[in-house]
Amino acid sequence: MNRRKHSRYFGPYGGRFVPEMLIPALSKLEEAFFHFRDDPGFKNELDRLLRTYAGRPTPLYFAENLTHESGWCRIYLKMEGLTHTGAHKINNVLGQALLAKKMGKTRLIAETGAGQHGLATAAAAARFGLECKVFMGEVDMDRQYPNVFFMRRMGAEVIPVREGTRTLKDAVNAALKYWIEHLEETHYLLGSALGPFPYPLMVRHFQSVIGREVKRQMRKLERRPPDVLVACVGGGSNSLGLFHPFLRQKSVRCVGVEAGGRGMKPGEHAVRFSPDGRPGILQGYKSTFLQDEYGQVLPTHSISAGLDYAGISPELAHLRERGRVEFVSVDDRQALEGLSLLCRTEGILPALESAHAVAYGARLARTFSRDQAMVINISGRGDKDLFITARALDGENWLEFLSRELSRDQSY
Amino acid sequence: MTNPIDTLFNERNATRLMTHVVAGDPDLESSLDLAERMARSGADLIEIQIPFSDPLADGPTIMASNQKALDNGTRPEDCFKMIRRLRERVSVPLLVMTYANIPYRRGGKRFAGECAAAGASGVIIPDLPWDEPLPGLRDALRNRGIHFIHLVSPGMSDDRLKTVLGLASGFLYLTLRVGTTGAASGIEPRGLEFLRKVKSLTRLPVAAGFGVSAPDQVKRLKGRVEAVIIGSHLINLRRGQGVEAVESFLHLCKSSGNGRPRPE
Ligand SMILES: Cc1ncc(COP(=O)(O)O)c(C=O)c1O
Repeated sequence: MNRRKHSRYFGPYGGRFVPEMLIPALSKLEEAFFHFRDDPGFKNELDRLLRTYAGRPTPLYFAENLTHESGWCRIYLKMEGLTHTGAHKINNVLGQALLAKKMGKTRLIAETGAGQHGLATAAAAARFGLECKVFMGEVDMDRQYPNVFFMRRMGAEVIPVREGTRTLKDAVNAALKYWIEHLEETHYLLGSALGPFPYPLMVRHFQSVIGREVKRQMRKLERRPPDVLVACVGGGSNSLGLFHPFLRQKSVRCVGVEAGGRGMKPGEHAVRFSPDGRPGILQGYKSTFLQDEYGQVLPTHSISAGLDYAGISPELAHLRERGRVEFVSVDDRQALEGLSLLCRTEGILPALESAHAVAYGARLARTFSRDQAMVINISGRGDKDLFITARALDGENWLEFLSRELSRDQSY
Repeated sequence: MTNPIDTLFNERNATRLMTHVVAGDPDLESSLDLAERMARSGADLIEIQIPFSDPLADGPTIMASNQKALDNGTRPEDCFKMIRRLRERVSVPLLVMTYANIPYRRGGKRFAGECAAAGASGVIIPDLPWDEPLPGLRDALRNRGIHFIHLVSPGMSDDRLKTVLGLASGFLYLTLRVGTTGAASGIEPRGLEFLRKVKSLTRLPVAAGFGVSAPDQVKRLKGRVEAVIIGSHLINLRRGQGVEAVESFLHLCKSSGNGRPRPE
């Protein structure tokens, strides 16, 4: 076979910083990915799954009311939350699950923060008849309990991670370690554009369907490319998926929105591009990480579990250095306002992650003119956040409901 | 000057013991004391781990040790100081073990200088395979006569194995199983098979570990390897039964491993 040998690096970032014992599995995965990526049979199968199972293409919706409310440029929403399982995560999951199947694997494992990647993996495992284990920080299990419940209904085993900060970073560690112990039959279905090569490239590849659709849809709706793309950035998969097909079009601005959390003190936020974000090597890749001066990884906080992570896609770190992607941050409170804004103006309930993009997009819209167009990626829908948002936005009623529910002695 | 690791392995007819200590667990004084007692009880090489927040290759036991050490505020410079003090008390070769981000943050050259100043003879960085760069590190270590110890594991491709054998110096760190560190049940045939293969390809000394937790396992490896590595098991012993248990375990291994009695 005649494939171009791919660099493991995006500029200075990326690589494959793992113990030697993990390299055979990563090499096999790399080989399989490059073999099947352009294989017509594989592509057809994946396309069909994306259409018939995931519900693609997702709408590119002209948010007329939000546009009027913000006052300036035309705002479109890419409705990834309308996919099966409720977030963009399913795009990457179906690609990798199909690959795992081709590789003869019988078990999928995944890390999850918000639970959306875990849920998508659980669904795919059920669909493909594979065993499924999902590693999830204990803190995240509590705050995203609906997804824990749904994953279990689909037959996945949800394994609480009690080490470290008990959030996404530690779930990745646990999944990597489980993988090392069970390489033969297991595929590690990593959920964002990070980790050792080939994951960052592979995840971005499977997520690029978002940007490709937007390109086609914009051509039809506006007859020209968008002026600016806005997406929230946890690990970077929904943002890269949207941005990547547009990177060569210099007129298209790309803006990534990080989680500002409660403030800029260490441990209070997940803004990798901030003074505590430094180049580092963690979880198999070189990128920018929130860490102290000695190289110990710092705890993070965000109201949204999916953005609550100390590292970031190596490709995004590179694109930022090249000046191709800009980064901003939105704090917990602003994200809740973004959520309320979209509910009120459009009747759309975004995930808390996506609400960060909404909050910033609505503000940024004012700096554009009326004939310009913005696309905001609504990476997921907000049902999963009930326990967080209800408490934050309607605490009294919610707590009253919960205590009523606890004292009720019969099920419906 | 000859590296003490080479001096140790020049004499080929003994099976050496290599032990593992996480600096700062439960505190630096205790880990210094533990390492010193290990040397006096028969350890021939000691690996001192600089704690890291996310130790990828380590199982629950060593992970918890890393966490404990970090909770105590243990910094890399404190670990180097501890190694320096240990160096003054014992004569066995000392190795610095840590994860790539620690030398990466400090700069490879500075890290190598710190290792040299502390009197370390080797460096082990499990998440730094030979084909990934860490600017300055490998050259600086070589210039200071410190061995960068390569890990080899079952399942490696022949190509990679041959490349590593070409690059390696000091000894090879051979994992008997594919997994994280921690007490597993017994030595797997796959590990022994891999060991035989490696042995047939190189004259380099081999230190084998991962899952060694009983004197009879040491005995089984006797004659097949130049050193046996015992890590998590000793940490568990110390945690559960105290340093004396570590000492008597090492004495037992020593008699079954039949290593050279140490005039310490
Ligand atoms: C709905 C949603 N959006 C965004 C993210 C952040 O991940 P990424 O940056 O990889 O898109 C997550 C992660 O869990 C998510 O569930």
